[in-house]
Amino acid sequence: MAGREAVKRAVQQVRPILSVDREEARKRALNLYKAWYRQIPYIVMDYDIPMTVEQCRSKLREQFVKDRHVTDIRVIDMLVIKGQMELKETVEIWKQKGHIMRYWKESQDPKPTDFLSKFIQGVH
Amino acid sequence: MAAIIRTLGSRAAVAVLATKHVMPSASTAALRFASTAPVDAKKADKPTVRKPDAAARTSLSDFGRYVAECLPKYVQKVQLTAGDELEVLIAPDGVVPVLQFLKDHHQAQFTNLIDIAGLDVPCRKHRFEVVYNLLSLRYNSRIRVKTYTDELTPLDSACEVHKAANWYEREIWDMYGVFFANHPDLRRILTDYGFEGHPQRRDFPLSGYVELRYDDEKKRVVCEPLELAQEFRKFDLSAPWEQFPNFRNANPPAEVVPPQAPPAKK
Repeated sequence: MAGREAVKRAVQQVRPILSVDREEARKRALNLYKAWYRQIPYIVMDYDIPMTVEQCRSKLREQFVKDRHVTDIRVIDMLVIKGQMELKETVEIWKQKGHIMRYWKESQDPKPTDFLSKFIQGVH
Repeated sequence: MAAIIRTLGSRAAVAVLATKHVMPSASTAALRFASTAPVDAKKADKPTVRKPDAAARTSLSDFGRYVAECLPKYVQKVQLTAGDELEVLIAPDGVVPVLQFLKDHHQAQFTNLIDIAGLDVPCRKHRFEVVYNLLSLRYNSRIRVKTYTDELTPLDSACEVHKAANWYEREIWDMYGVFFANHPDLRRILTDYGFEGHPQRRDFPLSGYVELRYDDEKKRVVCEPLELAQEFRKFDLSAPWEQFPNFRNANPPAEVVPPQAPPAKK
């Protein structure tokens, strides 16, 4: 009885954002991925970025894999909504070249990993 | 200009003459005293603080009580803040019905949505408050409707009730990350494309996370993580002395309006 009460308390009723179960959330994420994937050749052409379509696709995959650990349906929905908004901004060319190139973080040096380079940069 | 002054002066003289004709015994100084509103010297000890009107207070709290009676499912609390500002605190499900009621009810007619404000208190369970400021031109009165939500719970959009809510809700979405369900065009409005995070949240640092600069080699603006020359320091900004001793015994910021009216005194 006490266990059931605890389960009730742990699983609280929340209002869904879009999806009501995991399968639906997964489908939404896949649809977003496909939409980005199909748009990439046009993005490369329209924005005239110095990247190939393959590089863009691997970056797209990287962005999605980064959030692979997310299991909460509402968090997935929120990420999908934000990704959708970003896709729209990209497709409508509201963004500029710099905004697209921001995904690659070109101007940022990777953080040093081994001792000597850390020591030289003064990072501990 | 001189002509205007002259005519004004002549008119004043005429007025003085007229009053003298009515009350020949009274002096001009007494007349001037009587013409202004009577001032109670004992009550006006703090002339800079505006006193709320008692009649307006009772009518506002009566109206708040009436709203609470009409919508018992949604209204959780009715309060008066700053003396004479009516606030209705509602459940997040009831945004559309409450706003629709206040807009369409004949005794309310709050048809103007003045603003939607957001508020973030991270220690609460529902950390965001969303505040709707409404104006009734018909009755010349204002009301504030407050509701609450957290990062992941969507609120219903008020766009179907008030067209003005469109941009205000986009602002709230952009600044706080509160999602509005059924909004016709929910997207960023204040931040730049590619900006990550919601800057009005209390846990968003004042300096932000990234900085932008123009890169001369790449011929475009690049985005880099923020590097500050100085370490973050925490300042204790509270002063050791009391800054507003006159307001020590000020009115409470919010007075709850009880659901039943207090019994009338005989």
